[in-house]
Amino acid sequence: MLPFIKAHPLQKIAQELRKDLLDMVYKNGGHIGGSLSSLDLIIAVYFSNLFYLKKDHFVLSAGHLAPALYVVLANAGYFPKNLLDNYSSFDSILQGHISAEVPGVEYSSGSLGQGLSFACGLALGDRNNVTICLTSDGEHQEGQIWEALLFAKKYKLGNLVNIVDFNQMQIDGPISEIMPLDNLAAKYIQFGWTVTTVDGHNFNQLISALKSTIENRQSNNDFPHCIIAKTTLGKGVSFMENNFKYHDVKNLSDTLYMKAKSEL
Amino acid sequence: MTNSIRQAFGDTLVKLAKTNKNIYVVSCDLKSSLFLTNFAKKFPRRFIECGVAEANAAGIASGLAKTGKTVFLTSFACFSPSINWNTIKQSICYNNANVKIIGSHAGLLSTDLGATHQMLEDLSLMRSLPNMEVFSPIDSIETEKIIKTISFSKKPAYIRLVRPTTPNLFNPKFDFTIGKSHVLKSGKDITIIGHGPILEEAFQVQSSIPKNISLEIINCSSIKPLDTATFLKSVKKTGRLICLEDHQKNSGLGEAVASLILSNNIPCKFIHLAVNNSFGRSAKTYQELYDYYGIGINDLLTAVKKIL
Repeated sequence: MLPFIKAHPLQKIAQELRKDLLDMVYKNGGHIGGSLSSLDLIIAVYFSNLFYLKKDHFVLSAGHLAPALYVVLANAGYFPKNLLDNYSSFDSILQGHISAEVPGVEYSSGSLGQGLSFACGLALGDRNNVTICLTSDGEHQEGQIWEALLFAKKYKLGNLVNIVDFNQMQIDGPISEIMPLDNLAAKYIQFGWTVTTVDGHNFNQLISALKSTIENRQSNNDFPHCIIAKTTLGKGVSFMENNFKYHDVKNLSDTLYMKAKSEL
Repeated sequence: MTNSIRQAFGDTLVKLAKTNKNIYVVSCDLKSSLFLTNFAKKFPRRFIECGVAEANAAGIASGLAKTGKTVFLTSFACFSPSINWNTIKQSICYNNANVKIIGSHAGLLSTDLGATHQMLEDLSLMRSLPNMEVFSPIDSIETEKIIKTISFSKKPAYIRLVRPTTPNLFNPKFDFTIGKSHVLKSGKDITIIGHGPILEEAFQVQSSIPKNISLEIINCSSIKPLDTATFLKSVKKTGRLICLEDHQKNSGLGEAVASLILSNNIPCKFIHLAVNNSFGRSAKTYQELYDYYGIGINDLLTAVKKIL
């Protein structure tokens, strides 16, 4: 008999936020696939009470995951929720890619591979606090990421954690076909980082990995830490799951919207 | 008398860092070439060595700046800003980070190093970026003043430095002000405007032109923002403008100034002496290169005669 698994309290929040995310992208278009895969990761950072984000830093390196972060920030009270309704419109502060104009956002991005370097700079300049970076797996094809990995190890950035949204898809298809990353964890270890691999949709695993990051810092551990979060592109919507065509959506039909909504 | 612009940069930074504890250097394995060995020795905690990785270095500089530091990102102009242009655009300019980019060894003055190291496109790359200010000091005296001035600003900036020792042309009594140019010599017939040590040619041609012709020589070290008022005043008076620069013609200072004059409907003859859509090459002396690329003293003299 299967043991009874109690749903993590954040699971309920995630369920509600997925609906907000879908509504937002239905009304305005946007990068829904990666936003659905990374949403739980961002929720874990913002709603776990592990971090004090007025002092700790969160850097979204993969700026196209803006819808996920906007939904989290709106629900965390950084700005009124109705701003989500006209995301990426001319008169909205919510830019298509994440922008520091938005309350609660520390770094504007959109061009991939840069956020981890910025996060390293923050972690170096503010060693008393934690810097959390969220990168996509696809952006590890950018060379700058590997320059940053070398740097973080050299400067012993034990207060830095990089969460990788490992959904194994990119715009044009599976990462294994476009440009394989193979064993990413082994590569991080080789670069002098510590690595935890988790199910990116399991809050118990996510929170415990983030907690160990904080404990590492408290014990003056010098190693930068990577959490490889195995996720599913389009998580929660059957026809979007693992379907790279849903990297970015322009016009989601009413039928598909209703179908998606009924599944969430 | 000649002095090293790079030495002036390194020395000034050490001086400033003694009182300003927020000054950081981000280096890309060119510490000794940028005269930063002393800074690194005196302030090891504030000297961040990134190795040969200019894109990451630009990102590091941006992150550090967001923690309240004034960061000098240092390398050769041919690597930074160029390899890392997009990181400068997004991580530094779009994020409005307090990073001062020092691009050394710019122009044909990196004589023997050849095309890959003779950066002739840096001003084009930096002028085009919103939030970015761009400066090209004429000599070591002005370098010290520029570095000091921008260390008090919170804006991103690019400063173009050159490799060799260069003649002192700046009046030590002048202050450097962002967005201001200096008329180094007043005249009434031809305005010569330029940036960097090449402007020495304007002083040198004076002895070879008729006595009744006078040149007005303007040092345009503040390339962005431009000193519109000083140029327009001069060009309205002379009606003749020669722009001289050790940079590509495309998107250099000359095009900025030409656009300014056209927009203000000023009738004016115009000659732009700059590298015309070519790569550099090695030589033992810069004069050989300046002559070859049409920006030497004889070219300026020809231009002066032609524009009269």
